Amino acid sequence: MRKPLALAATWLAALLLAMPAVAQAPPRKPSPRGAQVYFHYPLDGLRVPERFTVRMGLKEMGVAPAGIERPLTGHHHLLIDVDAPPSDQPIPSDYNHIHLGNGQTEVVVTLPKGPHTLQLLLGDSTHTPHNPPVISKKITVYVR
Amino acid sequence: MKRVRLGLVLGVLTCLAGSALSSFAQERPRQRSPSPADAKLSFVGLANNARVPSKLTVRFAVSGMEVVPAGTAGRNAGHHHLLIDTELPALNQPIPSDFNHLHFGSGQTETEISLPPGRHSLQLLFADQDHVPHDPPVMSEKIFVEVVDAPEEKARSAAAPGAKVFFLDLQDGATIPTRAIIRFGVEGIALIPAGTKNENGGHHHLLVDTELPPLDREIPSDFNHIHFGRGQTETELNLPPGEHTLQLLLGDHEHVPHDPPVMSQRIKVRVVAASSDTTRAVIAPPAADKPAGRTPAPNDAAVYFVYPRNGETIYPSSTIRFGLRNMGVAPAGVVKPNTGHHHLIVDAPTPPLDVAIPADLNHIHLGGGQTERRITLPPGKHTLQLILADDQHIPHDPPVMSERIEVIVATRIKKPGRRR
Repeated sequence: MRKPLALAATWLAALLLAMPAVAQAPPRKPSPRGAQVYFHYPLDGLRVPERFTVRMGLKEMGVAPAGIERPLTGHHHLLIDVDAPPSDQPIPSDYNHIHLGNGQTEVVVTLPKGPHTLQLLLGDSTHTPHNPPVISKKITVYVR
Repeated sequence: MKRVRLGLVLGVLTCLAGSALSSFAQERPRQRSPSPADAKLSFVGLANNARVPSKLTVRFAVSGMEVVPAGTAGRNAGHHHLLIDTELPALNQPIPSDFNHLHFGSGQTETEISLPPGRHSLQLLFADQDHVPHDPPVMSEKIFVEVVDAPEEKARSAAAPGAKVFFLDLQDGATIPTRAIIRFGVEGIALIPAGTKNENGGHHHLLVDTELPPLDREIPSDFNHIHFGRGQTETELNLPPGEHTLQLLLGDHEHVPHDPPVMSQRIKVRVVAASSDTTRAVIAPPAADKPAGRTPAPNDAAVYFVYPRNGETIYPSSTIRFGLRNMGVAPAGVVKPNTGHHHLIVDAPTPPLDVAIPADLNHIHLGGGQTERRITLPPGKHTLQLILADDQHIPHDPPVMSERIEVIVATRIKKPGRRR
């Protein structure tokens, strides 16, 4: 009984969060129904070495390098140890927001020992998330 | 009663061995890392008394422990050592490092070794960050392999009767500079990278200043026999001034010439230092007029299947997922260095690599930059292959392509038993 309630709550929260973004949105590229970005590797809760390759998958959409405007495409961003940035602005570019601007679908990262969070967020030709944003679950890995 | 006595004897023996070891350890004290009782080390796909070629790939499997590079401390972790033709070394000291004790300190789990003909012993031994075996030692059984006389005579692949290879823009008696681009052409046969078996396909070998090698075995690989195992169609050749001979010879997936051999005429070229102007006119024309140039790809780029893997059983309707290393994905039509888009080849041989990949039911273009594709296949065996291609759908040079894998489509798949 509890689960559906919690689910509904998160949906509501997501909707509420998405609403203002939509309201003040400059032209954001639409994402198709069922579009999804996800991790091939690592998976949530995995123990990983300090240097490892993050591999990502994308459902119902295509990959295009940054700056290339094509419908239903985007490029990957890997968010490390941060919360997702606001989805109506370009994704920042720093150590915590790794841009895969050449259309890469995997990236080697080196992280210090300890727990870290990883999340994938697709950006369009201008690095802005789609509408609705194509974002993965935030996963935690343990670097040993 | 008998069993008890045996147990007793064993106990005494282990006590003795233990005391012997400990007395040894006192001389050169080395801390040994503990290992779990269920740790197991073994060779993959290599049986005792197997007959093997002189050059073979040995793969290691360890369970119950983790592979980490040497120098990395960790509980129940270590790296592999391969013992060749030797007894176990002292277990309380670092494993020696020589031809008989190969270290895999970067955490490798396979290696290629060359053995002379004859009988050899192989054994795996796991060791901790200081190369000292664990306590109890984690090691494989000692196996023996029989290396047959090399080079082995190999089955030759058939070539189509009209197949030929030739030099492009390079005639017999031509004069070329010391550093020249040599281009190769093929006709009536497909260019396939080494290692990929294919009917009527092969890759180039350039023979420099040498006679034809024996045609029933692997073409040697040295300065006189240059392999183009990735399907390259040109090379930059550096030759000292003087007379030289050049010949092209196509080899199959195992570098063995075809039957009949597909080879060019042996041509003579005169190499002169490029400074003299008189030779410019006869130099092979520059790259400008080559037909529909192929886009270069980095040498370490690779495309591979994330799912499924070779030999796997899949559902009739499955999502095939692609991985790409050291390059990026871009939709068709986008010109950007080091990018391309995926092509999934289903139940078809590798297409020619110097023209656009055909578009039909067997050659699925992922022109939108997709990195996965759901396909439906009838039950049975099917082959899948990935090829990256540039904005014009032409494979890169060298081609970025996966192995041709085989999958079995089954209507019912046994779910792997859940671990309790």
